[in-house]
Amino acid sequence: MLKRFLKTAQVRSPWLLHFDCGSCNGCDIETLACLTPVYDVERFGIINVGNPRHADVLVVTGTVNPRNAVVLKNLYDQMPTPKLVIAIGACGCSGGVFREAPNVLGGIDTIIPVDVYVPGCPAKPEAIMDAVVTGLAKLKGILEASA
Amino acid sequence: MTLRTVMLALGGLVLVPLAGGLLAGLDRMLSARLQSRLGPPLFQPFYDVGKLWSKVIAPASQWQGLFVRWALVASLASAVLLAAGADLLLCFFVQAASASFVALGAFCGNSPYGKLGAQRELFQLLAYEPVLLVGILCLAKAAGGFDAAGIMAAHGPLLFRLPLVAPGLIFALLVKLRKSPFDLAASHHMHQELVRGVYTDYAGRDFALLELAHWTDVGVTLCICSLVWATGPLAMVATGLAFLLAVVLIDNVTARLTWRAMLGRAAPLALALAAANLVWLYLE
Repeated sequence: MLKRFLKTAQVRSPWLLHFDCGSCNGCDIETLACLTPVYDVERFGIINVGNPRHADVLVVTGTVNPRNAVVLKNLYDQMPTPKLVIAIGACGCSGGVFREAPNVLGGIDTIIPVDVYVPGCPAKPEAIMDAVVTGLAKLKGILEASA
Repeated sequence: MTLRTVMLALGGLVLVPLAGGLLAGLDRMLSARLQSRLGPPLFQPFYDVGKLWSKVIAPASQWQGLFVRWALVASLASAVLLAAGADLLLCFFVQAASASFVALGAFCGNSPYGKLGAQRELFQLLAYEPVLLVGILCLAKAAGGFDAAGIMAAHGPLLFRLPLVAPGLIFALLVKLRKSPFDLAASHHMHQELVRGVYTDYAGRDFALLELAHWTDVGVTLCICSLVWATGPLAMVATGLAFLLAVVLIDNVTARLTWRAMLGRAAPLALALAAANLVWLYLE
């Protein structure tokens, strides 16, 4: 019973760490909109944390370049396992319109493994919340398979 | 030691942390409603602690695990002492030791935010401990003894003889529950300048145990506050909930102050009021 509670707890308490990896701020505004009373993601137990050591889900917006790639990898490495990564917006998914720029390495998955992709420019808050739910379903599957 | 005392102590050991967890859930629900949100379910803090317990992460320092466990032991010991009706002063000092262990553990880590949070935790101790101590002295003077059981058995509510202690108790609760305007050490709300303050370096199981210690501290402090109207168990629960409601309301309508405002203005004012009440009780 305790094991089942601990598994449920992991799915019902996702704490998000939001990292702006060089976004135009469009996707950041939509991500932060999820925390407002209109969308109120805390009703799903979601909290926006500023500390990678407390985070379960890394939400990344924007393209990766050689400078912020180091920070992105560092944040990912500091997070405790099991962890999820969600790439938000066209830039986060693939580099978007900036993919051919000389300083752009590409999307988030060029540096760290991504679990869920959210397309859009910018991505809608509903799509971001759906991505978290999809990611948690994936985590639940992993936890149940490991039992 | 009678069998009843042992049963009460065991009850305190189990029920006080559980009640603290439920109060944390109630606090989050009330805060969400005050902000026109639905908020998380009542049992969300339990899911959070369960999740933290399942996480795998290396500690920031080999000493932190030790300090976290000592903090939890001290918090639970204060709950046991209070539930068994022991000396209120002993319960108070044991609880202060718990807060000190949390700060010491944070000093062992590498994060500058954690160390700054630990310094602020010590400032907070310096601010609310004298106020709470004078509050307990007033309670003891009004009830005729330091025994929690004796204070609970006092005839009639003590609040009418302790009107100036109530603001001091609310000040101590605001600091202890990590609420605005005195949420200085832990930066309870995100995106503040200290990241997560004194809790920054704690993660995984250590953080889960620390949350349990915090729930216990909240339960014990609210129990001490509810002694001002201890005419029965239901009256004590109602008084504790009234104090919690006041604290949640203040948290939602105030901005955070600096540690200088806490230590230089709020704490001396609360202490002066409580001390005036103590003098009045002696002159009575």
